[in-house]
Amino acid sequence: MAYRVVHYINQFFANVGGEEMAHIAPELREGKVGPGMAFETAWKGEAVIVNTIVCGDSYFAEHEKEAKEQVIAWVKEINPDMFIAGPAFNAGRYGYACANIALEVKTQLGIPVLTGMYEENPGADLKDKILITPTANSAAGMRKAAPTMAKLALKLMKGEALGASCEEGYMPNGIRVNFFEKERGAKRAVKMLLNKINGKAFTTEFPMPNFDRVEPGKAIPDMSKVLLGLATSGGIVPKGNPDHIEASSASHYGEYDIEGWDRLTPEGWETAHGGYDPVYANEDPNRVLPVDVLRQMEREHKIGKLHRYFYTTVGNGTAVASSRKFAEEYAQKMLKAGVQACIMTST
Amino acid sequence: MKLELGFIKINDVQFSNECAVKDGILYVNPEEVKEYVYDYDDVKQFVKSISFDIAKPGESVRITPVKDVIEPRCKVEGPGVIFPGVMNHKVDTVGSGRTHVLKGAAVVTAGKIVGFQEGLIDMTGPGAQYTPFSKTLNIVMVCEPVEGTKQHDYERAVRFAGLRAAGFIGQIGKNVEPDEIKTYETLGIKEGIEKYPNLPRVGYVHMLQTQGLLHDTYVYGVDAKRIVATLINPTETMDGAILSGNCVSACDKNTTYHHLNNPVVAELFEEHGKTINYVCNIITNENVYLADKQRGSDWAAKLAKLLDLDAVIVSEEGFGNPDADLIMNCTKQEKQGIKTVLVTDEYAGQDGKSQGLADSDPLADAVVSGGNANMPVVLPPMDKIIGMTDYVDVCSGGHAGSLRPDGSIEAELQIITGATNEMGFNCMSAR
Amino acid sequence: MKSPNRIRIVTNNPLVKQILSDWYTVEYYEDATYRDILVKVRDMVYNGYELFTHPMAGSVKPNETMYKSIVVGTDQKGTDIDHCKLMMNALITCDKFKPTGVQYSDYHYKDFQLIDYTLLCGALDFDAIAGLSKANM
Repeated sequence: MAYRVVHYINQFFANVGGEEMAHIAPELREGKVGPGMAFETAWKGEAVIVNTIVCGDSYFAEHEKEAKEQVIAWVKEINPDMFIAGPAFNAGRYGYACANIALEVKTQLGIPVLTGMYEENPGADLKDKILITPTANSAAGMRKAAPTMAKLALKLMKGEALGASCEEGYMPNGIRVNFFEKERGAKRAVKMLLNKINGKAFTTEFPMPNFDRVEPGKAIPDMSKVLLGLATSGGIVPKGNPDHIEASSASHYGEYDIEGWDRLTPEGWETAHGGYDPVYANEDPNRVLPVDVLRQMEREHKIGKLHRYFYTTVGNGTAVASSRKFAEEYAQKMLKAGVQACIMTST
Repeated sequence: MKLELGFIKINDVQFSNECAVKDGILYVNPEEVKEYVYDYDDVKQFVKSISFDIAKPGESVRITPVKDVIEPRCKVEGPGVIFPGVMNHKVDTVGSGRTHVLKGAAVVTAGKIVGFQEGLIDMTGPGAQYTPFSKTLNIVMVCEPVEGTKQHDYERAVRFAGLRAAGFIGQIGKNVEPDEIKTYETLGIKEGIEKYPNLPRVGYVHMLQTQGLLHDTYVYGVDAKRIVATLINPTETMDGAILSGNCVSACDKNTTYHHLNNPVVAELFEEHGKTINYVCNIITNENVYLADKQRGSDWAAKLAKLLDLDAVIVSEEGFGNPDADLIMNCTKQEKQGIKTVLVTDEYAGQDGKSQGLADSDPLADAVVSGGNANMPVVLPPMDKIIGMTDYVDVCSGGHAGSLRPDGSIEAELQIITGATNEMGFNCMSAR
Repeated sequence: MKSPNRIRIVTNNPLVKQILSDWYTVEYYEDATYRDILVKVRDMVYNGYELFTHPMAGSVKPNETMYKSIVVGTDQKGTDIDHCKLMMNALITCDKFKPTGVQYSDYHYKDFQLIDYTLLCGALDFDAIAGLSKANM
């Protein structure tokens, strides 16, 4: 009896269309579709894809809750031995969808899951929670990715113990596993040293923990002259959220004008953040974005001036890489406008 | 300095009335060895008895508790004696001329030093793959102390007993024609620059565990706790200039065998003259006093700079606080433009999820790992035990009930001698 | 031996108390566990006392031995971030090891005391063996 697998792919790999079809809601198809063929070929009959779920990347991003609910409902009924998503290569929203839907299936239904994507894909943030096979950064990598994923998937279906990440083809997930290399450590060390000396690439066997330390900037001696910027990951947006900043896993940030606003009012502003109880922020948005206090400080000459544009996004489940990207961009805007210091509020 | 190593391949070891090597078989008269070993005051005074045994690869034999493993070697030409500072107190500089090696044989000292004791070697079964000494023909000396002997006196006595035995057995190969001769030569500073003007200058920062009883290393007989970082020719280590006085931890302490067969030295020599100019070793210690750690790493950096090194390999020994030395050595070298590769092991917890090193720094971007020492292993019972299994539960890596009634052992990998060696002796790693 | 001025030995090791009290200021915490000593010293370091020896001396594991001696300063010099990190990592490392549940006998205790004592002596340049002889041990 072959193992039964459900495969999740996006509109592009299902040949439905490109970006213009990214809004389609989840569809349940019989058997394999698109890249599913590569998996089945690799499995040589030991496993088959009984159903494929096709979902638009934008749909998942904007209706994550509904998408998850639908997929879970289908997978629960099909009751497969395995759930595979992607591989997503470097497609950010696809990778995010694959990783999150796989995690949801694992958490809700306890079925073994696997996905694959490029190491820098924002979805790879979840590599400690689900197994993710590292792939090339474009679909040209399918020829290599599919057999690796297929082999690993079969092991998971059979319940076999997994070896080390580099042996089995999954992103290091924080669980160290011993295994035997072909060469002894001293030889590997000398090889690594030669590569390092000659400016060639090498891979450390023990990655140092990433503390992501930031050098503190110089202290500002006199705040009374400073143009102060304001930013938040608490999701404060104009009422109605005109730019549709997502309640979780934000794909962009907003830049809004508070010129003339002495304080934020519940009529004019709200929170888009889906990760905390919005009641208090909606009642008084100053609780998250302290415009009222800063206006007071302006009047008292404790600060020079509050910059008219503030930058906002939703921090809930947003990929570290995305957050970094947003801030790099709007920090430049602030600098251009002459902002000398910035307060970032977070929730 | 130039040394020829003459490897005499030993395919079998047998006890006999004579001491000889014939057709690749090493014949040893244990009585003669014992007589020689006892011809030394410390041994006479403190070691009540030594019983000899042989353990061969593939046999269902477990040796425990293991103190040290030593390879039998002898000087054939050139100044000094093997294990300078120990044998006959001679301290002449070694590392040149010719040395014979009984390749494939090893002397293993076993028996209690303290109430808890480290180290286990399985000659077959799943445990055998984790220790290099399941592949050597082991002449085991199980020692027992005279009643009332102090631990430190006894440690020294057993250490000397093992070294004397290995030296005596090594002498058996003195007049035997080696099967293979390999030459190792490092050049002086000026000579090296002239001969290899375009090759990167590489050194080996060799960290030695030097902390106290069962945690010591000796260089020409000197307790390495007492030294400041200094230079040593790689070939000197092949003659036993650096010796083990340590038993803990079994998995990541360097036995004398490891010092004699230093894999970093060997691999650097493989590339010497081709892709690198292997200049020398810098030995430094791993003291407990924080200022010593700072002084030691500063000094190693100073020496590396003086020698105009382009890169170094840094190897570690032991658990816990040496991680601080490792990182200090790394960052100080890197900050002065000398590239580093570190060799270490990890204690990532039984589930592999914990942070494996006690210290870290982003500059340590090139690390070779000897594996997770906390990994649980189950070792099946062996038909024969050489030594005693009384200590299994209390060894590092053991726990209450480690030694099961049927003789099998459930413990962490760190209980196996040499399992996660931090000089890169083994193929095992972790990801 | 290193000067006893301005330093103290924080320990739960009776052997250390017995032999080194004649020479150094020994703060002996009889009922403290290995971890308790680490926590005590961590708090001292956070409060600005200087750390002189590495908290994880020796390769005998935290769940193996019950004795720990650490040398700390007696003057508040200001908090050293690196020493704080050291103590933090020592506790993280200690907690990695599962309790072994082994029942030790008297000679086990004595041997662990001896090892901790010699590690400390090594750090202080104190003649460990002479100390033992003087105490008739």
